[in-house]
Amino acid sequence: MKELYKQLFQKHNLTTNENEMGTYMDSLQESMAIGSWEVNLLTNTATWSTMTKTIHEVEPDYKPNILEGINFFLEGYNRDLVTKLFNRAVNHQEKYDTDFQLKTAKNNLKWVRIVGYPVIKDGVTVKIIGALQDITDKNNLIKSLELKEKLISTTFEHAPNGMALINLKGEIISLNKSFCGFLGYTKEELIGFKVNTLSHPEDINIIPNNIEALINGTLDKFKCEKRYFRKDGSIIYCILSVSVLRDEINNPIHFISQIIDITERKFAYKKVESLLQTTKNQNEKLLNFAHIVSHNLRSHSGNLEMLLDLMAAEIPEQTKNDFFPLIKEAVIKLSETIQNLNEVSNINSSKKEKIKNINLLQFVNNALGSFRAEILETKASINIDINDKTEVSIIPAYLDSILLNFISNAIKYRRENIKPVINISAKKTKNYIKINIKDNGLGIDLDLHKDKIFGLYKTFHRHEKARGLGLYITKSQIEAMGGKVKVVSQVNKGTKFTIYLKHDTN
Amino acid sequence: MTQIDSTCLIDDDPIFVFAVKRILKSSHLSENFSVYNNGKEAIIGLKQIIDSGKTIPNLILLDLNMPIMDGWQFLDEFIKLKISQKTTIYIVSSSIDPADFNKAKTYEQVSDFIVKPITRESLLEIMQIKA
Repeated sequence: MKELYKQLFQKHNLTTNENEMGTYMDSLQESMAIGSWEVNLLTNTATWSTMTKTIHEVEPDYKPNILEGINFFLEGYNRDLVTKLFNRAVNHQEKYDTDFQLKTAKNNLKWVRIVGYPVIKDGVTVKIIGALQDITDKNNLIKSLELKEKLISTTFEHAPNGMALINLKGEIISLNKSFCGFLGYTKEELIGFKVNTLSHPEDINIIPNNIEALINGTLDKFKCEKRYFRKDGSIIYCILSVSVLRDEINNPIHFISQIIDITERKFAYKKVESLLQTTKNQNEKLLNFAHIVSHNLRSHSGNLEMLLDLMAAEIPEQTKNDFFPLIKEAVIKLSETIQNLNEVSNINSSKKEKIKNINLLQFVNNALGSFRAEILETKASINIDINDKTEVSIIPAYLDSILLNFISNAIKYRRENIKPVINISAKKTKNYIKINIKDNGLGIDLDLHKDKIFGLYKTFHRHEKARGLGLYITKSQIEAMGGKVKVVSQVNKGTKFTIYLKHDTN
Repeated sequence: MTQIDSTCLIDDDPIFVFAVKRILKSSHLSENFSVYNNGKEAIIGLKQIIDSGKTIPNLILLDLNMPIMDGWQFLDEFIKLKISQKTTIYIVSSSIDPADFNKAKTYEQVSDFIVKPITRESLLEIMQIKA
């Protein structure tokens, strides 16, 4: 480099054939993207070569001066440093060679390397001569490589996954914090260590069994669940993924192993699984119990009913007392209760009932048919707002019972002296057909009954016909069809039940 | 009202047997009864009747849940007897399981499925259809 500069700078000392030599130097400078400059301290003037002007992006006839020259450097650090170095070259006769950032006449940012060299005559600095090289491209490349390198190493070091480079013998070359953290060792303990030896005995062959395929390229990545022993002897459950790094001629250089700690997830999963099993068992027991109770009780209550029936027919004189009617009533209620229990246990146990697509409007109209008498008697007005194309996917017997239940409730729990108005509407939403059944009846105090409204044997009204089973069965039936039910209600304003049913299955 | 010559009850519940007997006797619909406590007894009994050349009951009321041999097993054995005489079988059970209803339909020998408790009216109705 020194020789080059000498050559370049010699130009300024030449007196003969200056023009010819200048042209030669300019073309040389241009091909190397190096310009030269000179500051004459005696005359306080500056000279720039053509290339120097090109780098600064000024016109060829530009006349540089010292102040303007300095002002090309970026304000702040760059300008201060170049000023300082220039002054030192003048005052202390020190040369300099430093990279700077400058802004060209066309406002482009450039990286330049600047060499400054004091010319001394009789112990006095008379000139500073120097060179200027555009290193923007080179610098950008280095900077971006540096950045990439930094990005990769930061990512590697701080990744939440454990990451390690492993040589072809299975020894760790380098690894990150998470990898150490997962296994409970320090970096120093693990570097050079054969990581597979930490495997759980049952998992120790997973890697050896697959490594051949990875090396010869039939597998480009290998992933498995694997257990390792931590330093403290505990087991860590991991998802391990191994890939191969290859050189330019495709030979494997080393492995990149990544591990994710799934121990907590694993335990949570096991817990959920065992809870699920417990729930399943209990549910089964409960269903069995309900089944047995309802069936066995049924035959007994049936016998009682039959005997009372027979008694009334054959020995009527024995039934004319205070007890017989009461016994009979108790037996009937017992049978009813058992019947209800049966229905509930059937809904919950059997999905044997076939799901069908039906036209909702037709179905609702049919259901309303059985309320003709009540509607006439109570002067109820029933408004239906259902699109005649709406189809729902349901078990007909269930939807029938659901509609009967809600409609009969709406009529049954009307307010005295207020004409019952029942609005039945349906809307299609993304996942469901939403059916609203809204009345202007007694309403339910939801603050008081919210949790119990769909419970078994809860009644909210002191009504002679109130039975607690209806809503429980209704809810079970809706859920058995994959739907859900919601309620809003205000005492003495009315109640709105919203039933969510599945679209038709097509 | 035609009287039924003979009714066969296959049921392990003495109360049910008692009640049915009383109803049928008091209404003079059927005077003769044979009662078996389970399917096996019934098969043995019916075989004996056939072997001795007598007429088998023309109405059979069959329970489903019984010890030793239940109603379904009885039906399967009964079919194997290949009886040429005409008889009508009603299942009378406290089961309300739809699966049982459907299964009953697969036996052409079974006329209907009656859910207990049986009432005087429902019993008389059966007898009239039969008669």
